Amino acid sequence: MLSLLGISAPLLWGQLLIGLINGLFYAMMSLGVAIIFGLLRIGNFVHGAQYMLGAYGAWTLANLPTLFPGLGLPSLGYWWALVLVPPAVAAVGALTERLFIRRVYDLEHAYGLLLTVGLAMVIEGLFNLRFSAAGQQYGVPAELRGGVDAGFMFIPLYRLWVIAAALAVCVATWYAIERTRLGANLRAATENPDLVRAFGVNVPRMLMLTYAFGVGLAGLTGVMAAPIYQVGPYMGQSIIVTIFAVVVIGGMGSIFGAIAAGVLMGILEGLTKVFWPEASSTVIFVAMALILVFRPRGLFGKDTVSHAGTDLANARAGSILENVRLWLVLLAAGGAVLPFLIYPVFAMKILCFALFACAYNLVFGYGGLLAFGHAAFFGAAAYVTAHAAAVWGLPPELALLAGAAMAAGVGAIFGWLAIRRQGLYFAMITLALAQIVYFYAIQAPWTHGEDGIQSVPRGRLFGLVDLNDNLAMYFFVLAVFLTCFAFLARVVRSPYGQVLKAVRENERRAISLGYPTDRFKLIAFTLSATFAGVAGGLKAIVFQIASLADLHFMTSADALLMTLIGGVGTLLGPVVGAAIVVTMQREFAGFGAWVVVMQGAAFVLCVLFLRKGVVGTLEDWLARREDRRRRGRRE
Amino acid sequence: MTAPPEAVIETRGLSKSFEGFRAVTGVDLSVRRNTIHALIGPNGAGKTTVFNLITGFLAPTSGRILFKGEDITGLPGDAVARRGIVRSFQISAIFPRMTVAENVRIALERPTGLAWRFWRSATALDPLAHRVDELLKAVGLLPERDRLAAGLPYGRKRALEFATTLALDPEVLLLDEPMAGLGHEDVDRIAELIRTVAAGRTILMVEHNLAVVARLAGRITVLARGQVLAEGDYAAISSNPAVVEAYIGGSDDDAAA
Repeated sequence: MLSLLGISAPLLWGQLLIGLINGLFYAMMSLGVAIIFGLLRIGNFVHGAQYMLGAYGAWTLANLPTLFPGLGLPSLGYWWALVLVPPAVAAVGALTERLFIRRVYDLEHAYGLLLTVGLAMVIEGLFNLRFSAAGQQYGVPAELRGGVDAGFMFIPLYRLWVIAAALAVCVATWYAIERTRLGANLRAATENPDLVRAFGVNVPRMLMLTYAFGVGLAGLTGVMAAPIYQVGPYMGQSIIVTIFAVVVIGGMGSIFGAIAAGVLMGILEGLTKVFWPEASSTVIFVAMALILVFRPRGLFGKDTVSHAGTDLANARAGSILENVRLWLVLLAAGGAVLPFLIYPVFAMKILCFALFACAYNLVFGYGGLLAFGHAAFFGAAAYVTAHAAAVWGLPPELALLAGAAMAAGVGAIFGWLAIRRQGLYFAMITLALAQIVYFYAIQAPWTHGEDGIQSVPRGRLFGLVDLNDNLAMYFFVLAVFLTCFAFLARVVRSPYGQVLKAVRENERRAISLGYPTDRFKLIAFTLSATFAGVAGGLKAIVFQIASLADLHFMTSADALLMTLIGGVGTLLGPVVGAAIVVTMQREFAGFGAWVVVMQGAAFVLCVLFLRKGVVGTLEDWLARREDRRRRGRRE
Repeated sequence: MTAPPEAVIETRGLSKSFEGFRAVTGVDLSVRRNTIHALIGPNGAGKTTVFNLITGFLAPTSGRILFKGEDITGLPGDAVARRGIVRSFQISAIFPRMTVAENVRIALERPTGLAWRFWRSATALDPLAHRVDELLKAVGLLPERDRLAAGLPYGRKRALEFATTLALDPEVLLLDEPMAGLGHEDVDRIAELIRTVAAGRTILMVEHNLAVVARLAGRITVLARGQVLAEGDYAAISSNPAVVEAYIGGSDDDAAA
């Protein structure tokens, strides 16, 4: 039968075996992420980097003599690594919890996400500097070399061992959490942390140990994966996004769900490699989307009460910083002189990202939705605009519209899927959906893979103005930016914007007043995606390129960072934030590989010290000053 | 049981279980037009669950809900509200970072269809200002109209919630413990308000303050352990030994009120 399909049995069995092993790795990783999320309410984006730490730990132990010559250190093999590395990685996790994670427990999910994204960047960046991006080989332990002939296929011994060990770890963890007293405490704390605190459980210590345990699991997975995969600094980066999708598939609050979904998805991925190889990198994300449609709570999730949306808005009604007309004039005036002060191309980059951040602010700051996949809209529009201009020969204004229309379409679909879940799940879902677009762009012929679409013609605006002139291009970008900025500010202040605010502040009440709140969120999401698309299309025309970087999740993280640094839910915050981040990126560019580390550090510092952002902090200061003055008058 | 024709809200065999826990079992309720009907019972009796079921915030496990004879079982919360059944919440439900006037205006905005106009200026809502002021005046909040709702004292927040609910001019009002957490003065004020707005409306209220229930409600249903224990007017209920037993001797402290 198989040969009829043109598929050889050994290939099928081989991929099934790989799928099962990957699935067990996914299961062990998702287990850690699900436990950490369940108990700490932290979307542990740094989990992939912690997995990488495990693999490097094993590699380091094996190479002690060459790494630290002259100390007479022995080379410690796989079994030593298996014993020593996971606790060491767990200890790093405990330290991380103490120093960083602990500070964001009481804050909105966005901060935890951004913090762990930053930590992952710092860790992975540092390893990249020390060991370079190229992967290292880690040998299979001598005891497990060779294999058994199972008749239908040859199975390497090491893989059999991984299957047995990983299964044992999953079952043991499941047992510890579902069947022991400690686990009962943990689960109780997941459902109601305040209550458990009231029972006198040392919650801070429990949280630290839980985090360390989850991280230790990642470390253990890393050690076990080292002989199978290349050990490289970025080995955890792609897996973490997959893990987030697996957690969504498994379902809220289900330990069993995380394990089962991990194994299932690994096997599904393996099978896809046999039958439709091109789809194998996206199949898990597509599966997640389908499950959201038909079973929003996940395969094994319980019925959950919806959480409140994020409310981080820093704006102060009536503040001078919120006066749209005034700032439109000031931005227009400032924008008009800007290209004579700084390099116009750089100024255009700031404007493109400012528009991107303004669009993101609509959904995050005003809609209260923690979106983490806006790169999909920015990038999809960049590609479509670039293609329309380069291949179809459309003039720039029409190419831009085509890009925005694409972003709107993708945004409407992704929004429709994602609004079924809230809070951190919303972030995980938008991230996973965005990955579908990313992987599509790697493989589709018209996007030209790693090269992207290059040499996009800027063309003549309305057939009249030659945009190859940087100043002409700049003023076109400025005009588009100001128009979109004004429109987005209008949306927030419109009758619709009032309802959107009400939904963000108290969704249940808004429902009880008769508002179908999901539809309001979907409109905000689609509008936001559309304008993120305008920004992406503009960028493609200005820089004459659409590339994978536009679709990379770091672009989504940048949108969040710019909005947070500037001030969430404020008129000017995204503009200020974009100017800061784009400038920072340019300044760091001279440091080569340090860029990633420094940018990650910026994420961490912003979360720790600049939570209200520049504009939010300024608003606080203005409010205090006004308060003082009013009190002074009264006396 | 055949329902009297004037029943506005009617439930038949309404049941809800949460993972095996039966919060509400076979509740038949009939709320007649233009009456104030109270739903009372010890903590955990399932009163709020009944509210959540009627208003579409929860889907029943079994049973039906009729509104003016029409089946509304399974409609989502917003659709139920648009039909004219508007509820309040146990914990005051306001929009904290909006002004008092904006809170009421949100409710007035809904029937206008302006809510979808994301391209229009907020000045489109100005014609509503007059009605906002009327409603605020009715609950004595006019002097506070431009304050942020978050800054109001608790009793005033409840008044604001009430004004917001009234702004929809609902045919049926479901009030979930309107007196909870209020001082004497506020209790009197809200009770008077309820009596005023009851003219031409149907009200179903959950309330623990039996003095208020005695004063306002023409008909009372007692729930205990998710089931109807008794129904009647105040005199009949207060002399019913089963009710007294449930209230005094009751060990009915399951959660999920």
